[in-house]
Amino acid sequence: MTRRDDTTRILISEEAAQRLARVVSRRTFLAMTGGVAAAAALAACGSDEKSSDSSSSGSDTSSAESTASPSTGDSSTGGDFDKTINMYTWAEYDDLDLLKSWGDIKLTIFNSNEEAIQKLVQGGGSSGFDMVVPTGAYIPQLVAAGLLKEIDKTRIPNFSNLDAAYINQSWDPDNKHSVCKNWGSTGWIYDTTVVTTEIKTWSDFIAAAQGEASGLTSILDTAPNLCGMYFWANGIPWTTEKKADLDACEDFLVNEFASHIKAFDSYPGINLTAGSYALSMVWNGDARQGLIGVEESGGDTNQYKWGLGAPETELWMDNWCILEEAKNVDAAYDFINFILDPANSVKDLQFHGYNTGIKGVEELTGDVPFKDMIFFTPDEVARLRAGTVNSGQDRLVEIYSNVKAKAGG
Amino acid sequence: MTATVGATASGPPLQKFRLRWPKFALAIPSFIWYVFLFVVPVVLVLVNSFGTKVTGTPGKVDLSSPTLERYREVVDGSFRTVLKQTMETSILGTVLCLVISLPVAYFLAFKVGPKAKVVVLALLMVPFFTNYLLRTLAWKIVLQPKGFVSNLLQDSHWFTLGQTLRDGPIQILDSRSAVQLAIVYNYLPLMIFPLWVALDRVELHLREASKDLGAGRIRTFLQVTMPLAMPGIVAGLVLVFVPLSGDYVTAKLLGGVKGNMIGAAVAEQYFNAQNAASGSAIAVSLIISILLVLAVVAGVAWFAKRLLAANRKVTVPER
Amino acid sequence: MTTTTEMPSRPSRFRTFRAKFAGLLLPGWSALVILFLFTPIFFLIAMSFNDFKTIFVWTKFSTHWWGDMWDNTTMIDALVTSIEVAVISTVIALILGTLAGLALARQPGRWTAGFVALVLLILVTPEIVDGAGQLSWFVKLDGPFRDGLTPIVLVHTVFSSAVVTLIVRARVAGLDDRLEEAAADLFATPMKGFFQITLPLVMPAVLSGGMLAFTLSLDNVVATSFVSPAGTTTFPNYVFGLSGGVIRPEVAAMSTVFIVGTLVAIVAVAIVLRRGGQSGTEIATTFTGN
Repeated sequence: MTRRDDTTRILISEEAAQRLARVVSRRTFLAMTGGVAAAAALAACGSDEKSSDSSSSGSDTSSAESTASPSTGDSSTGGDFDKTINMYTWAEYDDLDLLKSWGDIKLTIFNSNEEAIQKLVQGGGSSGFDMVVPTGAYIPQLVAAGLLKEIDKTRIPNFSNLDAAYINQSWDPDNKHSVCKNWGSTGWIYDTTVVTTEIKTWSDFIAAAQGEASGLTSILDTAPNLCGMYFWANGIPWTTEKKADLDACEDFLVNEFASHIKAFDSYPGINLTAGSYALSMVWNGDARQGLIGVEESGGDTNQYKWGLGAPETELWMDNWCILEEAKNVDAAYDFINFILDPANSVKDLQFHGYNTGIKGVEELTGDVPFKDMIFFTPDEVARLRAGTVNSGQDRLVEIYSNVKAKAGG
Repeated sequence: MTATVGATASGPPLQKFRLRWPKFALAIPSFIWYVFLFVVPVVLVLVNSFGTKVTGTPGKVDLSSPTLERYREVVDGSFRTVLKQTMETSILGTVLCLVISLPVAYFLAFKVGPKAKVVVLALLMVPFFTNYLLRTLAWKIVLQPKGFVSNLLQDSHWFTLGQTLRDGPIQILDSRSAVQLAIVYNYLPLMIFPLWVALDRVELHLREASKDLGAGRIRTFLQVTMPLAMPGIVAGLVLVFVPLSGDYVTAKLLGGVKGNMIGAAVAEQYFNAQNAASGSAIAVSLIISILLVLAVVAGVAWFAKRLLAANRKVTVPER
Repeated sequence: MTTTTEMPSRPSRFRTFRAKFAGLLLPGWSALVILFLFTPIFFLIAMSFNDFKTIFVWTKFSTHWWGDMWDNTTMIDALVTSIEVAVISTVIALILGTLAGLALARQPGRWTAGFVALVLLILVTPEIVDGAGQLSWFVKLDGPFRDGLTPIVLVHTVFSSAVVTLIVRARVAGLDDRLEEAAADLFATPMKGFFQITLPLVMPAVLSGGMLAFTLSLDNVVATSFVSPAGTTTFPNYVFGLSGGVIRPEVAAMSTVFIVGTLVAIVAVAIVLRRGGQSGTEIATTFTGN
């Protein structure tokens, strides 16, 4: 007897039969993978991924309209551009509300110029950033690598707001590639309950690090600052290229200083006040932020003391630079013009605590906490020395690596 | 007349695909992928370690005159201390992981009913699937000198007869202890699961037989369960020891300067010092150290086994 | 005279106590370990409700960061990138791994030992070595390997596909290969046999493997930190990059979202597998890669 039966019969074990019965059918599997692939495609199209067309209307701009305080001059572009910038910069360096009032600025953070340059050069001109904020001394390096765009100052009317002392620096004559963002210096901050002697000079600092604050000291995470400390304490110009000086520096730091370091920290302001360190080498604005944080959390700011480096210390200037690969050049110009407006500049200054170099900025800045940490007296200014990146740089980085390794031992 | 059998029975032609493709055909894409993305990079690290730093061009290495200079720097220089420290941390860490995990794995494998087992497993899987970096960051919060735990230890009088547990804030962060603690924490789930699976696979009737023959619980455990689970246990140990030795994240976040590990040193050479050659040499030295440790431990274990074999009263039949 | 077998005398009170204590030792220890494993995670989640601008100093309770975190476009981008990379690398890892796993289980031969050794080597090698090598290699190759999501996806697939391979192999080895033979006997072409018989049977392994690959990709920090181009970053790497500066509670809040999201996905897959007949123990075994 034949059966007109189209079903397929399989002879299998019971266990396998149960599994087959509950199995996901082929159609469902295809649907699943199809769904996953579709989701991936959608996500790729909808996001702000830089490899996709960046001139598409920004999808994540929280405030696309500019509600900025009136600037004294509009950037002369006139065209329609996206107020979106990818910025590579230092941490805690701009008032986020201020940035948002201009447009959508995405910040990526680095801890040292060496790190930033490393990433930019490695990116080979396709790092995805529009602007970078390097320290002046490193700008020649970036220019030589062809990474920075030349700046057309006619597009920045507010450039004239900058004080003459802060333009036309030796590392970028005529401001071809950079515009001053702010300048600052290096000093120390310490917990007076642990470090009982007053610190007045870098020699005091070193003594305290080897003494009361041994094992609780933090140093800025950059090679020039680490070595600079030794040079400033010993009356040697910190831009020295002499082998004898560098050798002496390495000898001291590796053999007598390294073991007292707890951490390399470029932003110790808050960490020190949170108890992690007793003594820190710090930039003035970061120290100020630490003290403000203590106030906000209800602590006693008298417990901590800030001091500007003596007899000599650093003078650094950080700058707005536009990268050669920038996709949003119009936006970059507009932003630089925006930030050079005195009102905006002061607002930013109040956040990060560094002198922005605008004419008359000290008067414009009203009463803010720890104002003396932003604006230095003429005596203090006389102590500041600009840095350079010269043939000694490699050696400095080597010393820094060796100190790090030795400090761990 | 012999008729050549032409077409076979009616129906679609049968094709045994096994005859047409080589056996490993399906694995070829994977193989190519691995060679391209794993074998070549690792070989490149080895090759680069004989090179010289190229100033100004990060990631590139000058191989025009191969040299052992980088290795000399590792052996003579400060990296030797970091290497030694790293190995100490990783050996101690692996042992701690083992000691902490074994009771839990044993409990899970033998003492828990099926329903409870699923619950415990689910609980254990939560930290396992929580992001490694976030868990490490979380430790930074726990260990803060002015944080909750620190304050608790400083303020609590009641269970130490009036004395506080600490005089001042805890200063564990940025030290080797912090790294050791967090590393054990991070790799614990990675040790618990292989141990549990290994113990779970030891057949019940073998253990029961051992008990029937008069062996106590501890003796059963040492002479029956453990040897049978040993391959799995060893797998777990290796699975934890090797990646742990190369750890980078924990050292960077919690170690400060004192708690530095080789993994962080390699990264630093690549990123801060822009010296890929040195970084490669250090990475190769790490591998060599790991292999050395494994060889030594294997040697000791083999030796110990031979010593013990003479003493063994229970021989379990080979599987 | 009848000989009575003496019952062992009732154990002394001390021995009962000791037995009870010993009986509590294991569960007690396990409970402590589980507590230890969860504690830091609780701290992290708790800090997302901190008012102050850093997660390391608690001032007072506040939920404002949960709202503010959506303004941090860099962080949101990083999260989106993480998910994109995870999805793409999981698909690739599944394809590569399933095929290889099938080959290992169904077509063993002299090649098997070598290939398995390679896979195990991938699983065991410290990520720092992988990452360093991959960076140097990508820098040499240049072009698309230094741009966009490509380098990140590529390095994630290596480890993930190795894991999937082993999972699928374990599963397929347990299957009866006569089912496939039967399919062939019944005139199914290899393709049809694969899609209608083999693949559905392997599905639990594919699902677990896929889930594992997905979480591994989300989790990856070291290799990603080496190869990711300067402007692209995943969420964990974004957090890692912040570790020099101030970490706001919004990061803790997003981390909580990240953690909970991963767990939800895992539970979803576990439920599907359960429906498909896997026991809880089986699911756990495959999930943890054993």
